[in-house]
Amino acid sequence: MAPQYIASHNLAALLDRLRRYGELHGPVRGDDEVVRFAAIAPGTLPDLSALRTLLPPKKYLLHPQETILNYTAAAGYQMPAEEVRPLILFGVHPCDLAGINYLDRVFLGDAPDPLYAARRSALTLIGISCTPDEFCSCHISPSPLNALTDLSLQSLADGYAISSGSPRGDELLEGVKEILEERDIAVPEDTRRFFGQVAAEPLRQELDATLPDWQTLADACLGCGACSICCPTCYCFDVLEFGGLDGRSAVRLRQWDNCLLKCHAEVAGGMSFQKNRAERFRYRYRHKFRGFGPLQGIPSCVGCGRCRVVCPAGLDLRPLAERLDEGRHEQ
Amino acid sequence: MKKMRVAIAGLTACSGCQLALLNCEDELPELFEKFAFHFFPMACSPALLEGEYDAALVEGCLSMPHEKELLLELRKRSVHLIALGTCAVWGGVAALRNGEDREWLRQQVYGHNPVASETFEPLPLHRVVKVDAAVTGCPPEKEELLRLLAGLTRGALPVGIDYPVCTECRMRENLCLLTERDMFCLGLLTLGGCGARCPSLGVPCEGCRGPVPEANLAEALEIYSEKGFGRITVLDRLRRFCPEWKL
Repeated sequence: MAPQYIASHNLAALLDRLRRYGELHGPVRGDDEVVRFAAIAPGTLPDLSALRTLLPPKKYLLHPQETILNYTAAAGYQMPAEEVRPLILFGVHPCDLAGINYLDRVFLGDAPDPLYAARRSALTLIGISCTPDEFCSCHISPSPLNALTDLSLQSLADGYAISSGSPRGDELLEGVKEILEERDIAVPEDTRRFFGQVAAEPLRQELDATLPDWQTLADACLGCGACSICCPTCYCFDVLEFGGLDGRSAVRLRQWDNCLLKCHAEVAGGMSFQKNRAERFRYRYRHKFRGFGPLQGIPSCVGCGRCRVVCPAGLDLRPLAERLDEGRHEQ
Repeated sequence: MKKMRVAIAGLTACSGCQLALLNCEDELPELFEKFAFHFFPMACSPALLEGEYDAALVEGCLSMPHEKELLLELRKRSVHLIALGTCAVWGGVAALRNGEDREWLRQQVYGHNPVASETFEPLPLHRVVKVDAAVTGCPPEKEELLRLLAGLTRGALPVGIDYPVCTECRMRENLCLLTERDMFCLGLLTLGGCGARCPSLGVPCEGCRGPVPEANLAEALEIYSEKGFGRITVLDRLRRFCPEWKL
């Protein structure tokens, strides 16, 4: 069968048809020029020229701050009743898709997170091809994570090749078939090819704590948290509980945390597993490039480049990663 | 349940922090159920300092001898003493001219007229008494105040915030006013907890909540300098709310 094709001038019609299946979100450029995943207003097109949104799509699955439990004296702890409506994310790049794949492994693994699971099952992912810029590193370090989609669009000169990656995608393709054409075209490989690669043998040695790089990074770090907030795979969160004034109720919150912050590794009594920023950088590096726990050996960096773009000090773990990977046999 | 006895006092400040508490209108009936505001001169009369308090919330910095006496008295009588707002926690705007000749300053304001009270260089509370907890902000966030009070009814003090304004600003997916717009935003060095209130409206952070723990002033000065804001400019701006900022 020849590849399915949709002409650029039919994109608006495609979006209109997709709305039948759920709320439609995609990269939208705001008045302030910031590109964010947001609702695509009917009659408008998403900004498909932008290489990255400020926050990755994780914000839909794991909210920056959310209530995970409500307590009342009568009912005890209860999960919040959240109405999860079908959401279609349009124009997701392969790195962000791989980021969602990583979050899936964390939150749908041994003990699935009910909030995450409900939102994830209501999420349809429509990927789009892209061309890496100088901040991207997907093409430098292929990742074992999968850039899975329901539908994929690959940019061609005057339109897109469109293909399904799931039964959900098949259903969507069927629903929009009147605006698709079959064309005998050569579909170029896109950046999805850098994902789903066989992982290198995991390095099990502990990272060298005496490397001067940890302190160099720490000296320049402002501890603003931008790198992890904007990271598609940083999922660390803090759990806080606040009792109500009535003395009979409480709310338990989950909010994004950051391994470079002071409180991240603090425990009761004010003790800390990572007293200084240099130690915290080593920990961050380990999570991003080596993986740990059940995901040992699976680097969580998907190469989206956001951390480098948003760091006010211009910090970048990549050069260190490249150096350590080159020398991995000597370690 | 026995009501908690609370004292709420204002020292050298604008009373805005006490007002922030009074502005919790929806919660006031509940607050009056849980707390007995025995000493709250701004809101309740008579204001008699007597007996012991479960908690004293003190707004403002210290700049007059009678304020020091009141603070020491509150400390002696209270299980918990809580610094309420930026002036109490860091010194605030009243301490802006610390280090300058006080007689000269007095003349600038009052000329040769006599001044009713002797004053000294304004100090944050922690320089004089042990402070058990602090709620910073100019004024503090309503939510923080209510959480503090709800916590007190359980014998708990608030957990400190360890991230700067930037953290919440990024979580809100705001444009970075410093890096993208070259605006003089102090979010990098300022304690978060305000939900990045000002930058979310396109207004640069003024630093009103004081320093974030582990602030990297050296690196921040480099970044500000690249944007055209020199050391003196940055330090002057930081010291508007926290005169203890040092190089």
